[in-house]
Amino acid sequence: MRPSMLPRLAWGLVLVLGAASGCSRHKEAPAPAAGTPVTPPAEAAVAPAPLEPPLSYELRLGKQVFQHYCLTCHGETGAGDGFNAFNVEPHPRDLGDPAFQKAKVDADLKDTVRRGGVGVGLSSGMPPWGKTLTPDQIDQVVGYLRTLKRTDAPPAS
Amino acid sequence: MPLRRLFAITSILFFVVLAISPLKNALRPYRSIQREYARLGAARAKSQKVAEAYQARPVSIQQIWLPGLQNRVDRCMTCHLGAQDETMAGAPGVYRLHSRSFHTPKDFDRFGCTSCHGGQGLATLEEDAHGMAENAGTPMTPLPFIESGCGRCHLGEQVNGAAILTRGRMLMEKAGCFACHLVKGHEGFRSEAPPLESVALKTGGEALKRWLKDPKGLDGNASMPNFRLSDQDIEALTHFIFNTAPSKALADKVREAGAEKAGDAINGKKIFAEARCISCHTVEGKGNGSAPELSKVASRATQPWMLAYLRDPHAFNPRTRMPQFGFSAADTRDVVAYMVAEFKDFDAPPGMLDPVHVNQTLAEKGQKLFRLLGCTACHAASGEPDRIGPELNRIGDKRAASLDFGKRKDLKHTLPTWLQAKLEDPRSLGTGLKMPVYGLSPTDTQAVVTALLAYGAEPVPAQYQPVPAVRASLVPGGTVGALFDRYRCLSCHQIGDKGGDISTAPLTAEGSKVKKDWVIDYLVMSYTIRPILTDRMPVFRMTKAEATILAEAFETFYLDPSIPEDPFAGQPATSRDPIEGRHIFDTLGCKACHILGEKGGYFGPPLNEAGRRLKPGWTYTWLKGPQKWRADVRCPNYGLTDADALKLTSFLQTQVQKPAALKTAKGGGR
Repeated sequence: MRPSMLPRLAWGLVLVLGAASGCSRHKEAPAPAAGTPVTPPAEAAVAPAPLEPPLSYELRLGKQVFQHYCLTCHGETGAGDGFNAFNVEPHPRDLGDPAFQKAKVDADLKDTVRRGGVGVGLSSGMPPWGKTLTPDQIDQVVGYLRTLKRTDAPPAS
Repeated sequence: MPLRRLFAITSILFFVVLAISPLKNALRPYRSIQREYARLGAARAKSQKVAEAYQARPVSIQQIWLPGLQNRVDRCMTCHLGAQDETMAGAPGVYRLHSRSFHTPKDFDRFGCTSCHGGQGLATLEEDAHGMAENAGTPMTPLPFIESGCGRCHLGEQVNGAAILTRGRMLMEKAGCFACHLVKGHEGFRSEAPPLESVALKTGGEALKRWLKDPKGLDGNASMPNFRLSDQDIEALTHFIFNTAPSKALADKVREAGAEKAGDAINGKKIFAEARCISCHTVEGKGNGSAPELSKVASRATQPWMLAYLRDPHAFNPRTRMPQFGFSAADTRDVVAYMVAEFKDFDAPPGMLDPVHVNQTLAEKGQKLFRLLGCTACHAASGEPDRIGPELNRIGDKRAASLDFGKRKDLKHTLPTWLQAKLEDPRSLGTGLKMPVYGLSPTDTQAVVTALLAYGAEPVPAQYQPVPAVRASLVPGGTVGALFDRYRCLSCHQIGDKGGDISTAPLTAEGSKVKKDWVIDYLVMSYTIRPILTDRMPVFRMTKAEATILAEAFETFYLDPSIPEDPFAGQPATSRDPIEGRHIFDTLGCKACHILGEKGGYFGPPLNEAGRRLKPGWTYTWLKGPQKWRADVRCPNYGLTDADALKLTSFLQTQVQKPAALKTAKGGGR
C-alpha cells in the first residue's frame, strides 16, 4: 500500500494546483483596500439615478435628430408649430395627432422622411432627407416620432 | 488500523478536492446564461434550421482580442451573446441586442467592448467584469457618462453625436479649468480674466468686495467661480488689489477720460443698439451671454474707466475677446453716458465705487492670500500661469482606492461619484482644499465628469484616432493679422480648428464663398443676413481701406481648392438657364426655409441678394452637398445632378436685390 500512495499523492497535488491556477486566470481581480468591506453590488448604486435619462439610447439619438432637423418647422412637441412654420404654406403636419399616428405605419413615415413630400405625392415643403440622414438616423427619428403621440384630444386651435 | 483509516480519509479528501475544480467550472454562471440564450434564440428563431443552430451551439468562452488596441481581450460576449444578434432585439437583460450607435453593430470587432464601456474584459464573472465592488480596479463607466468612451479616441473639441461630451469639453474651456490644471493639448490656455493692475482703476472698494463674495450672483455670465471667501479674506484681498499700482499709461488714460464732458445718452442708446453689443453681452439676460451682463455695470465700473476701456480695450486687457470699435471720441462719450444713466443698480448704496484707503498690513496679508488661493492662475499679468491644481491627464483611469473621500461618508467609492462631488462642492471632501465652487447645474456636472473620464491613462494608438475633419488654422501676421487682432474676428468666427462659437459662419473658405465687393460693403456696414439669429455681426465702424485689406486677405488665404471659381466653364450653354433654375427652385421646396421675394420660411438666409453675396462656384458646391461644408447643416442634400445644380446656381446668381438696411445706409436695429 504505502509505495503506491506517494505517487498518487503527488499526482493529486499537481492536479489540485493546476486546477487552482486555472480557476484564477482572470487576472487583476478587484482588490479591495485593506479594511474596506466589500459591499454587495446594489442595483441602485451602480449609476447615479437622477442623471439617468428617461428615454432609451436609440430614442435619445432620435430626439437629437428631431431637435436638430425637424423642430424648426414641426415644433418642440411635433404639433406643427415650429418657429419657421407660420410663413410656410401648406402648414407643417401635426405629428402628435393620434389619428395621423394611427393611420401611418413606420414604413410610411420612414418613406416620407427619406423621399420628402414630393416623393410621396404631397407638398414640396417637406424636403427629402434620405441623402442627408443615414438609414439608422431615419429609424431613430421615426422611433422618436412615436413618443410624440398625444394621448388626449388635440387642443382646438 | 489507524493507517488504513487515515488513508481512506485522505483518499476521500483528495477526491473531493479534485472534484471542486471541474465542478466550479461546470457551475460558472456564463454556462447557464449561454444555455438560456440558446433556448431564447431557438424560441425566437424564424425557421427550424436557425432554431437548431441555436440549440447546437457549444457552450464556450467567447472573446475579442485586439492586439493593436492596448492588447485588449474582451470576453464580455461570453455572457452578452445577444449583443450582436438581431434576433435578440427586445430580449430581456443580459440577452438583449446592443443599441445601435455610430460604431455598433458594425465595429464590435474593431473596438471590442471595454474601450467604450470600461470594465475588466478578461473576467467572466459579472462582479469582476463589471467592477461592481467599491474600489474595484477597472470598473465599468456608468451609463450617464458613457460618452467619455467616445472621448478616448475622439480628442477634438466637437464630437459629432456625443452631445454630452462636447458640452463638457466646451464647459471646461469656458470655466477655465486649464488655468489651474495642466491638460495635454491645452498647455497654451490663458484665461481672459483682467490683469490685476487695472482692477483698481475700474472699480471701487465696496463693489469689489461684493464681487469677491459671489461673482456669479452679481453677473450670471461671470466665469469667475465662487471662492467662498470669509469677510476678513475679502477685506485683505481688496486692500491688496487697491495697493497694486496700475501702469502710468493706463492711469493717464482713465484720468484724461474723467476730465471730459458728459455725452448725449439718447444718441448713445442708438449707437449701443447699432453696434450690436448684445451679440456677446447681455442686457437683463437678453443677448448671447459670453461676455458680462451690462444692466448693472455702471455700479461696478467707473465712468472714466468705461470710457477709456471702450476706446482701447486691448491696452487694459490684452487677452480679452472684446473687439476694438472704431467709434469717434464723441460716440464713445455718448455710449458711456447712456450706460451710466441706464445700466446701474438702483438698489445699491452710494459710495460703491469709492476707492479704498489702503492699510499696508492688510494689503500684505492679501498679497499672500492672492498667491495661496491661486488667483495668479487666471489674473497673472504676464508669463506662465501659476497652475496650482494637479494635472488631469490621466484622471479618467484613476483608481477609486487612491481617491480621498475625506469627510464624505455618504458617497460610494467610485471615480465618477468622487468627480461629481468634487465639482458640486469641492470643499466638502476635506479641509484646506482650494478648488472654488463653479455652481454647475446637474446636467453640466454630468457633462464635465464625462469630459474628465475621457482623459485615459494610456493614449489610444494613432490608427484609432480619427483624422480631424477641419484644416489647421491659418492666421497671417502683418497688417492683416493686426486687423484680425483689432476686430477680434476669432472671438466669434472659426478659422480651421480655432475660434469662437458665436458666429455660424466659419471664415476658413470665405474667399471661395463670398464676392469681394459684397464683403467690403458688409464689413463697413454689416446687416442682418439670417433674421432668426440674435447674435449678429457688430458694426465695427471699420474704414473702407481696412475692409478692403480684409477682403483681399480672404481672396488670398481663405480659399478651398475643391470649390471652382467658375463652375460653368466647359459646360453646355443650357446649364446657364435661369428659367429652368427657377423651376427647380420651386419644385424642391427651397421656399420652405428661404425667403425669395416676399414669401418663404425664414430659417435659412433670404436669397434675394444671393447673386450679390455668393460666388457661383460656392453656390454650386453647396447645392451638390451642403453637409460637406459643415456636418450638421440643416439644408438637406437633394442629390442634385450637375446640370440641375448649375441651373439653380445660375438662377440664384440673378437675384441681386440690395437689402433694405443698405439702402437707408444705417446699421441693423437692436
